[in-house]
Amino acid sequence: MIGRSGIGLAGYRRVLSLRIKALLANTVLLIVGLFSCTYLYADGSIIDKVYHPYVQLLETEIEYRSRYQNDDDAELDDRQQYRLGIGHSLSDQLFAEIYVIGEDSAESDLELTAIEAELKIQLTEQGEYDNDWGLMFELERETKDNLWEASTTLIAVHEWTRWIATANLSLTYEWGKGIDNEFETSLATQLRYRYSQVVEPAFEFYMGDDTLGLGPVLTGVQRLGGRRKFLWEFGVIAGLDDSTPDTTWKFNVEYEF
Amino acid sequence: MAKRIRTWFKFSPSISAVGTAVVGMTLLCLATFADAATPVINIEIKGHLFYPAEVLVPANTKVKLLIHNTDSTPEEFESYELNREKVILGNTRAVVFIGPLAPGEYPFFGEFNMTTALGKVVVN
Repeated sequence: MIGRSGIGLAGYRRVLSLRIKALLANTVLLIVGLFSCTYLYADGSIIDKVYHPYVQLLETEIEYRSRYQNDDDAELDDRQQYRLGIGHSLSDQLFAEIYVIGEDSAESDLELTAIEAELKIQLTEQGEYDNDWGLMFELERETKDNLWEASTTLIAVHEWTRWIATANLSLTYEWGKGIDNEFETSLATQLRYRYSQVVEPAFEFYMGDDTLGLGPVLTGVQRLGGRRKFLWEFGVIAGLDDSTPDTTWKFNVEYEF
Repeated sequence: MAKRIRTWFKFSPSISAVGTAVVGMTLLCLATFADAATPVINIEIKGHLFYPAEVLVPANTKVKLLIHNTDSTPEEFESYELNREKVILGNTRAVVFIGPLAPGEYPFFGEFNMTTALGKVVVN
């Protein structure tokens, strides 16, 4: 059943050439990536979720995310954010999701603070190239402060046997009354070990203007029969600078069907 | 918790935007490097069964599975061991890339018909 479409010596040379180019490009990527990481800049905590680029046909999901942060600084302490979303795949490359976002703190009760629309595009077939690629566009309106945010996120995944490295590099434009209209960038990465479907340990790293954090995360999938799945994620991210909360607890669940 | 104040990475937003764009362009360029010599293996889904149910694959080689779902209903090729998941609509084809894999057996199944649509990739 295996067919190798007559490649010959010239074909092998071409493949070798492509592999060398890919190796060089990966090296350039690493150097440029490390260099650019020193210029990351984004307001507010960006600790949330590291996205993968994959889209499945006929998939619908309901998602709930919560984030709770502690800090010595009263301004950052005891703040909670909740996010409820529903998404559906529009094709085998497009996935759309909308969210309502609420916040709660020591000074105020839970209130709706933002709504967000998200469109994810799977750019390459999983495993076709050395890395898998996706793009995500987000538009968020902060209803409380009448602010807008538009983001483009490049999603990259590299797989080494059971290890999966994922990076989300975002460029955001923020505008509205009472703030400086500005571009911001941020980086969210995850290194995950595929131990078993039930539980997979990971480490996540977040970097932005007001965020520099690192911490362990556990993820897992529970099959509920047929296409129904329950996905969960739980972790704690430690702040590495003054502007990041000492600890941010995150708990995300998804129901896919 | 002891904190380290790091301000050396905070430069202007315009510089950061340019840096991000450069990284993005570099990343996207990488996506053009395809392996032209990827072996192709054909798999058929018929009557909610995979044919062949045992797929032989050479070790340490990337392989392209071309899966033709000849049923009228959708099926999903899924395998935790292969880290792959792909929905294939009825009477359509889909591509799944696997590998390079170490020798061994990697089970897969059809998520819409989990009791019948079963198979495995055998890597030698």
